[in-house]
Amino acid sequence: MGDIIDVSDLVLVYADGTKAVDDITFNVKEGEFFGFLGPNGAGKSTTIKVLTTLLKKTSGRIRVAGYDIEHEQGEIRKLIGVEAQESVIDPDLTGRENVTLQGNLQQMKGTSLTERVDELLRLVELEQVADKQAGRYSGGMKKRLQLAASLVHKPKLLFLDEPTTGLDPQSRAGIWNYLEKLNKVEGITIFLTTQYLEEADKLCGRLAIIDFGKIVASGSPAELKREVGADTIALSLEGGRDGETAVAKKILGSVEGVTEVFDSDGGLTAHAKDASRLIANVVRALDEGGVRLSSLNVSTPSLDDVFLKHTGRRIRAEELGKRPEMVFGMRRLRR
Amino acid sequence: MTLFFDTEYLFVRALKKVIRNPILLFFSLFQPVLFLTLFTQLFKGLGGLAGFPSGSYIAFVTPGILLQNGFTSALQSGTSMVDELNSGFLQNMLVTQVNRSAILLGRLLSDAFRVCVQSIIILVMAYLLGAQMVTGIAGVVVILVTIASFGLAWSGISLSIGLATRRAETVTAIGFFLTFPLLFMSTALFPQAFLPSWMQIVSSLNPVSYNVNAIRDLALGGITWSTMLSAYGVTALLAVLTLGATLYQFRKVVS
Repeated sequence: MGDIIDVSDLVLVYADGTKAVDDITFNVKEGEFFGFLGPNGAGKSTTIKVLTTLLKKTSGRIRVAGYDIEHEQGEIRKLIGVEAQESVIDPDLTGRENVTLQGNLQQMKGTSLTERVDELLRLVELEQVADKQAGRYSGGMKKRLQLAASLVHKPKLLFLDEPTTGLDPQSRAGIWNYLEKLNKVEGITIFLTTQYLEEADKLCGRLAIIDFGKIVASGSPAELKREVGADTIALSLEGGRDGETAVAKKILGSVEGVTEVFDSDGGLTAHAKDASRLIANVVRALDEGGVRLSSLNVSTPSLDDVFLKHTGRRIRAEELGKRPEMVFGMRRLRR
Repeated sequence: MTLFFDTEYLFVRALKKVIRNPILLFFSLFQPVLFLTLFTQLFKGLGGLAGFPSGSYIAFVTPGILLQNGFTSALQSGTSMVDELNSGFLQNMLVTQVNRSAILLGRLLSDAFRVCVQSIIILVMAYLLGAQMVTGIAGVVVILVTIASFGLAWSGISLSIGLATRRAETVTAIGFFLTFPLLFMSTALFPQAFLPSWMQIVSSLNPVSYNVNAIRDLALGGITWSTMLSAYGVTALLAVLTLGATLYQFRKVVS
C-alpha cells in the first residue's frame, strides 16, 4: 500500500511571523488511521489547513493521494473530506438540507445524492431529526451531522480536526464508533488531530506527537509507550514548597529502580520498571527525608507519559472543556 | 456549468436563511415602509412649495427611499460574508469542489433579489399613498433593474471592507458613515435647487443623484435616455471599482 499523505520538511510561517509548523516530515499509508496528538496551539489545525488546500505552505513538499498540493488542488479536493474544528453547520437549514447542500457543492445531485444523504443520516443516527433545523441540534448531533456532510462525496481520505472536543463522554464514544467503522469497514484513510490521550490511544494505528510545531515522537501507541519503557509513579507533596520538591526529587532519584524523575503539575513524576514493587521503598525513603506525601499513584505508561518524556510537560486536560463553549457562545451572540 | 449550478445552490440557501428568520425578514421588509411613511408625512408640505418639480412629495421621494433601501440592504452583504468567514462556513466551502466565483455570485444575486422584493413593497405602498407610475409595468421592471445594479455595486464596498477587516462592526460603521451623507447630499430627498450651493456641487457628483434622477424620470416623467445612460454609466464605474476590490480581497482569502 502506498502513501496517501507524503509530507517532507513542511514549514508554515504566518504573516505575523509566527512559525506554526516547524519542519515536519511524516507519511500516512492508505487505509491507516493516523493521528496528530498535541496540546492547543501545537500546529495541528495549521497542518490540516495546509493539507486540505486552505493554507499555502511556506516551504516543503506535500503530496496528497499522489497529487502535488501546489499544482493539483482540484484533484485533491475531489478525494478528501474535511471536518473542521468549528461547527460549520448552517443553523437555519435542516440536517438533511445541510448534507444535501454539501453534496451539491461537491457536484452531486439527483437521486444518487438523495440516496446518499439518507444513507449518511442513517449512519450517524440523525434520520429522526433530519428535517429539523440544525440550529436546534445538541453539540454532539451537530458534530455527527458535520461528519455526515464531510462524507457525502465518498472521500478516500478524511481529515478530522478535533472531532470530539467539547463533547460529553457518551457523544464522544458514539463518534469513535462511527470513525472506527468508517476506517475498518469502508476502508477510508483517516487523519485525525486530538488533544485527548485516550482518543489517540483508542483510535489511531499510528500517531505523531506534535508540540510547538515540531513532531517530537511518532509510532503506534504501543510502540510509543514501550519507548517510555517504564511504569509511572506520580506523587503530590503535602507542603509543595519549592525547597521540599527539590529535596523530594533528589531522594526519589536515589531510590533503586527509579530511572527518571520529572517535575509535574503540583508534584513529581518518576519512571521505574515494576513500579508497584518499589512503593514501599519510595514511601520509606521520602519519609526518612522528612517529605510528607498527600498522594501516590502508580500506573503503567500512557501517552501522556510519552508526551512528558519528550516535552517535559503534560498535556493539560482542563483547558479542553472550556474553549468550545466559549466559541459557541460568541457565535450565538453575533447572529 | 458548475458556475451556474453552484450559484443556484448558494442563492437558494441564502434565500432560505432569510425566510427562516421571520423576525429579521419582517424588519428588513418594513424598515423601508417606515422610512416612506415618516418622510412623506413629515415633508408633505414641500410638494406645494413654489419651484417644486412635481406636485406631490410622495411621488418625489419614493425613488429616494428605494435608493436608501438599496444602500442599507447592500450593507448586509458584507456582514453576512464576515459571519461566514468567522464561523468557518466559507472555509468549509473552499475545501469542496465548488466553483469559487459562485460563492460571491450566489451572495450578490440573493442580495439583489431581496432588494427587488423590498422595492416592490415600497412601490406598492407608494402607489397606495397616491404616487404615480407613468411608465407602467415596464417602468417598474427597469426601476428594479436599476436599483438592483446600484445595490450590487454598493455591495462591493461592504464585501471588500468585510473581507479585509473580518469585522461586522467595522462594515456597519463605515457603511452608515457613507450612507447618510451620500443620501442627504443628493437629489434623493430634495430637488437639487433646494440644496445649499456647496451641497449642489456634491450632489451633482454623487452617484446616488444619478440613480435617483433616472428612477424619478421613469416614475414621473417618462424615459430620458441621457439620464438613464449616465445612471448606468456611474453604476458601472462604481461596480468596477468596488467589485474589483472585492474580488481582490476574496482572492487573498481563497488562495
